Amino acid sequence: MMRRALLLLAALLALPFLIAAQEISFEAHVDRTAFEVGSSIRLTISLSNAKAGFTEPDLGGLIVVQGPFESSSFNYINGRMSSSVSRTYVLTATRPGTYTIGPATARADGGTLRTEPITVKVEKGSGATNDRLLNEGQQRDRDLFVTISLSKNKVHVGEQLVATYTLFSRYPNLELSKYDLPALNGFWAEEIDQGETTWEDRPRTVNGLQYRVAVLKKQLLFPQRAGTLRIEPLRITCLVNRSFFNRGSQVEAMSNATEVQVLPLPPNAPPGAVGTVGTFTFTGKLDRDRLRADEAMELTLTVAGTGNLKLIEAPVLDLPPDVERYDPKVNDRISVSGSGMSGSRSFQYLLIPRHAGELVLGPFSLAFYDPEADAYRSLQAGPFTVQVEPGSGGGQARLTRPSKADVEVLDTDIRFLRTGDLRLRPAGHHLLGSWAWWSGMAAPVLALALLAGWQRRRERNNADPSGRRRREADKVARKRFKEAHAALRDNAREPFYAAMNKALHGYLSDRFGLGAAEVNEAVLTRALGERPDAAALARQATDLIAACDMARYAPLEVKPRQAMYEEAIALVQQLERP
Amino acid sequence: MRRIALALCLLSGPLVQAMDRSTADTLTARATAAYSRGDHAGALALFDSVYHHWRSAGLAYAMGNCHFKLDHVPQAIVYYERALLLEPGAEDVKANLELARQRTMDRVNELPSFRLGGTWERWLGGHDLDQWARRSLWGWALACALAAVGLLLRATLRTTVLAIAGGCALFAAVSVGLAARRLRAVEHPGAAIVVQPRVDVRSEPRDGATTLFMLHAGTKVALGAANAGWVEVTLANGHVGWMPTSAIEAI
Repeated sequence: MMRRALLLLAALLALPFLIAAQEISFEAHVDRTAFEVGSSIRLTISLSNAKAGFTEPDLGGLIVVQGPFESSSFNYINGRMSSSVSRTYVLTATRPGTYTIGPATARADGGTLRTEPITVKVEKGSGATNDRLLNEGQQRDRDLFVTISLSKNKVHVGEQLVATYTLFSRYPNLELSKYDLPALNGFWAEEIDQGETTWEDRPRTVNGLQYRVAVLKKQLLFPQRAGTLRIEPLRITCLVNRSFFNRGSQVEAMSNATEVQVLPLPPNAPPGAVGTVGTFTFTGKLDRDRLRADEAMELTLTVAGTGNLKLIEAPVLDLPPDVERYDPKVNDRISVSGSGMSGSRSFQYLLIPRHAGELVLGPFSLAFYDPEADAYRSLQAGPFTVQVEPGSGGGQARLTRPSKADVEVLDTDIRFLRTGDLRLRPAGHHLLGSWAWWSGMAAPVLALALLAGWQRRRERNNADPSGRRRREADKVARKRFKEAHAALRDNAREPFYAAMNKALHGYLSDRFGLGAAEVNEAVLTRALGERPDAAALARQATDLIAACDMARYAPLEVKPRQAMYEEAIALVQQLERP
Repeated sequence: MRRIALALCLLSGPLVQAMDRSTADTLTARATAAYSRGDHAGALALFDSVYHHWRSAGLAYAMGNCHFKLDHVPQAIVYYERALLLEPGAEDVKANLELARQRTMDRVNELPSFRLGGTWERWLGGHDLDQWARRSLWGWALACALAAVGLLLRATLRTTVLAIAGGCALFAAVSVGLAARRLRAVEHPGAAIVVQPRVDVRSEPRDGATTLFMLHAGTKVALGAANAGWVEVTLANGHVGWMPTSAIEAI
């Protein structure tokens, strides 16, 4: 038994010497010389009829995805023996380009064998990953890299963005020993709690390579100043391939650095809006609408929405000075998640009014910048009206009364405009020296002068009654002639002659100061005195009077009435003439 | 006849306004509303358009307030002074002028002078520009009316009434004098406010002359002789010097 086994062994050991008689070949070939990023090729190196080890060729940047797989065959046909050994690699490339697989060398029979170099072309195909971060990460280290990705690259000051730190690994066994978070200059950061760091269930393929992925950390970032803010790379140290037998090796990896464009907030911010960025609602609530003086009430102002809620400060209340107030209690109901910071922050103020009366609180306002609307917004809550009744005087007697205090001057300002009529005057116009003023000054003087003249005349008249009668004779006659003319027009005979008689008779007696019975030719001639036509005029006058009387008392008219009227007028005019 | 018509036109010239009264009232109401809203620049523009054609103490006071709110303190002082000229002793104007003066830099010790209270000042100045002219008209009319009554009365009462009429005439004459004084004060105020932030007052009316002292915006100076863009100014404490006309705004 033992002998047979030894014999077989000896035969096997002798085989290579027997085979040596066959021809030796050493070659490499690929199944395709052109492929796309994300797919793979197969490289096979085979050595025939020689028993030798061969070195792995320089793969020229191609990555081994699988392999090498070795296979060997041994044939013994009709006394001819042949053998071959081949090694197969599955290769891929993560970037397009031309790659050259260098020669593999084998040492046999005292000589060195080389394969021909192979050139393959890699094109960017549909399997390539377009994510710049992943491509860059893979180029840094194709087995282990970290990326920092931002939800937005362009934000306003105070607007939130999410930074995600992701680990990509091809090591089957990896232990994270430490990582240094990058210093965040210019940001206010808030951690997003996501539990323990675990590998994602599904691997991700980047340019044909499969990676296990773990999200190391998520942060909510609020830029605090405008400009280009840089986030420095994250550095991690890992232990790989650690097992029971192996202490493993230490590998370091670095992430990309990234930059954020931070835009300044638009100018002319309303007061209080600086630093408050987000989309909010603002509500207020007063727990009571009626209370007694010196009792407490609670005012709650709530800001809810999405944005940097934790940076919102308590609104400063503009309250009447006799309302005592305490610092607000802040209640947060804020959640930080991958979608940002949201929730509500409410401020509870304890207020104690000290005096009775109707109290109006507010309105209170919240101003903030809304990045979605790209504008400042101002919201208001209130006003709240509360009825304050006088404090309880009975029961527990209050010993202290509100003491009188001086009115406190808080600020000074100019007085308001005059309300009502401004009493406008035309520019450059003034009363003194104007036309109106001169006439106003002259008018009383003129009136006084007229009055004085009238007075003097009246006095003179009063002193001389006959003279007055003489002066007025013409006026009286004129009036009576007017009556006569009216009668003439009406063709009334009796009134015409009566008026004519009265006019002439009255005129002559007034004019020459005669009694009613004294009007006759002789007297008139004498009264007319030195006039050369005295006698003629006297006769004409007496004749006219006689004619009138005749016509009045007897049915006899000497002349037509019109002629008589005109003659009488002419006579009076002649007598009036000196 | 044509000459008379021309004279009438010239006399009534100032009465013909480019802006009628109702427009002016509408504009001032709008300006007041703008001021109440806090739009002081808008209010100032509206008030200013009215001020080109119309004057009153209330209007000048409102413009002073607008300038004050816009932080133009020297201009505010100019308008407050104008308002005081138009209505001497107005309490609101004096209060605001006092506040505006607190914001100026120069403290000038005024020469001690005989100062009377606001009421007397107010009475002496008349409530508005035409007050004394109106009083002279009334006094004169009353004197003439009394004289007329005296003429009509018996001899015993006549002397008494004529004496009263004489008193009224005297009052009218005094009123004319006061009115003329007011008019001169308003048309030739003879004072100005420094509007440049800082100005050197020199001994002679030329650049490079000895600088006597420095004045800052808001200080009131009395105006003297003028010479080629320079004017001689006198401070309330009696200092005299020359400064460029552009540095001041006349009240």
